[in-house]
Amino acid sequence: MPPKINAGFVEKVLVRFIRDELGKSGARTGLLGLSGGLDSAVCAALAARAVGPENVLGLILPYGQGFPRDVRDAQGLARRLGIRHLTIDIAPQIDAYFAARPKASRIRRGNKMARERMAVLYDHSAAEGGLVLGTSNKTELLIGYGTIHGDMASAINPMGDLYKTQVRELAAHLRIPAAIRRKAPTAGLWPGQTDEGEIGLSYEELDEILYGLVECRKGRKEVVAAGHKPTAVDRVMRLIRGSEFKRRLPPIAKLSPRSVGHDFLHPYDWGK
Amino acid sequence: MNVALAQIAPKLGDVEANIEIHLDLLARARKKKAGLVVFPELGLTGYTLKDLVEDVALDPARDPRFRKIVAATKGLSAAVGFVEESPAEKGLFYNAAAFIADGRLVHVHRKVFLPTNGMFEEAKFFAQGREIRTFEAPFGRVGLLICRDFLHYGASYVHFASGADVIVCISAAPGRGVQGGDAFATTRMWELMGEAMSYFSTAFVVYANRVGIEDGVTFAGGSFVFAPGGRRVARAVDLDPDLLVCRIDLSAVREARRAWLFKRDEKPEAIWRSLERIVRASED
Repeated sequence: MPPKINAGFVEKVLVRFIRDELGKSGARTGLLGLSGGLDSAVCAALAARAVGPENVLGLILPYGQGFPRDVRDAQGLARRLGIRHLTIDIAPQIDAYFAARPKASRIRRGNKMARERMAVLYDHSAAEGGLVLGTSNKTELLIGYGTIHGDMASAINPMGDLYKTQVRELAAHLRIPAAIRRKAPTAGLWPGQTDEGEIGLSYEELDEILYGLVECRKGRKEVVAAGHKPTAVDRVMRLIRGSEFKRRLPPIAKLSPRSVGHDFLHPYDWGK
Repeated sequence: MNVALAQIAPKLGDVEANIEIHLDLLARARKKKAGLVVFPELGLTGYTLKDLVEDVALDPARDPRFRKIVAATKGLSAAVGFVEESPAEKGLFYNAAAFIADGRLVHVHRKVFLPTNGMFEEAKFFAQGREIRTFEAPFGRVGLLICRDFLHYGASYVHFASGADVIVCISAAPGRGVQGGDAFATTRMWELMGEAMSYFSTAFVVYANRVGIEDGVTFAGGSFVFAPGGRRVARAVDLDPDLLVCRIDLSAVREARRAWLFKRDEKPEAIWRSLERIVRASED
């Protein structure tokens, strides 16, 4: 497992990060999608501490009536944190689009939903003069378990350097309700989907492999020697390699001496 | 003498705003009777500059904005971090530290060791400094270093060998590692190395780090002062701005050097000959 974090100190750092980034951007509100799951709950709790609950807007964006418990958990959490929240059913948009594409796979439908949620979040961020807070954790980012331009899209991401198992530690520290903490993690793209079922590994094992490969810069052999199945390690390595495109801006074909993305280099916080 | 650790969060790329921050803290430190005020690395510019380096570069001898800071040091000393472009070396930009005393620019140190790996890309944007030398300040002999310079222990050795009473390190050290206590793991590293260096050098070690966040990177703060022989004089807060003023007694250098004879018994010529042999061999 990745080493235990000092959750109190991590909270301090991330609260400052959110406050500082919102302040520098002149943003009044931090917005995020509330799924009823762990990651968005932790992010909402951090944001509420950073800028005050009245300056956080949680958007609960279910597709139809298929996930009543998640909607209830998300609304309950928002009330508990005292943040503003709004529930919008995205089924009309999604159904209108797929009415003419009845054979679309559930992956296509799920990705479309993730991008619809992104579009709704960004629309509200424009209306609010706010910034969209990302909730992708390090585990998801490393294996690319997310929809590019969907749930992976955000203005700032407070959670992206915490493995899923570390997010759980932080959640316990932040007193996220047990109902949310004990739930099986899911992308919620279709009923019955679970992360661990789809990835084929428990988060504990996945994080341990990732920690060995990424943090400790161990090779395949060493990670296998540490007690992991070669097939599991290979699978994780393949997932990391295959998802680099989700962690980067697209390559720009270089023609001039100074090109965007190659040698026109500026801080993200430029002019803030 | 009172030493002020000016643990600030500079505004990235905005020299004018940072000059104001420096002037404000100089005034506040003066009220607290500080004899030396130490600001962090690139305090006048912010750290994550990339292509902004040339926009914020200045010549400390002539720049009217910098002269305002120099003028504000009447009766005290200050170490200030900035990007230097001198008329003698047009188009070369240095990560630099100026030592100013009593309205006069005394010394400029150019960062010798530019971290360029992983999250660091200084050598991509800065020219490499080539000299480490001490100089005479109103209160004693001082050696300046900038952040990573301090982690190369030969740099502090040069200051020790040339008789520094005070080693001043200005820093923009990002925090990393959140497993341990109530600070970043790297903060502990800096403290340990500062403490150790105060033993090795029988000198004061003054370390001013910055705070604030740039592009997701949190600068850790935790500035400190160690007296010769590992006595912690002061430690600023983690993560947040601070202006910590502490009293140091410079006679502690003499006492330490009488008790621990590292300075008396030091043989720079033996080190020099050995280094020369190593450098020659590596050049063959």
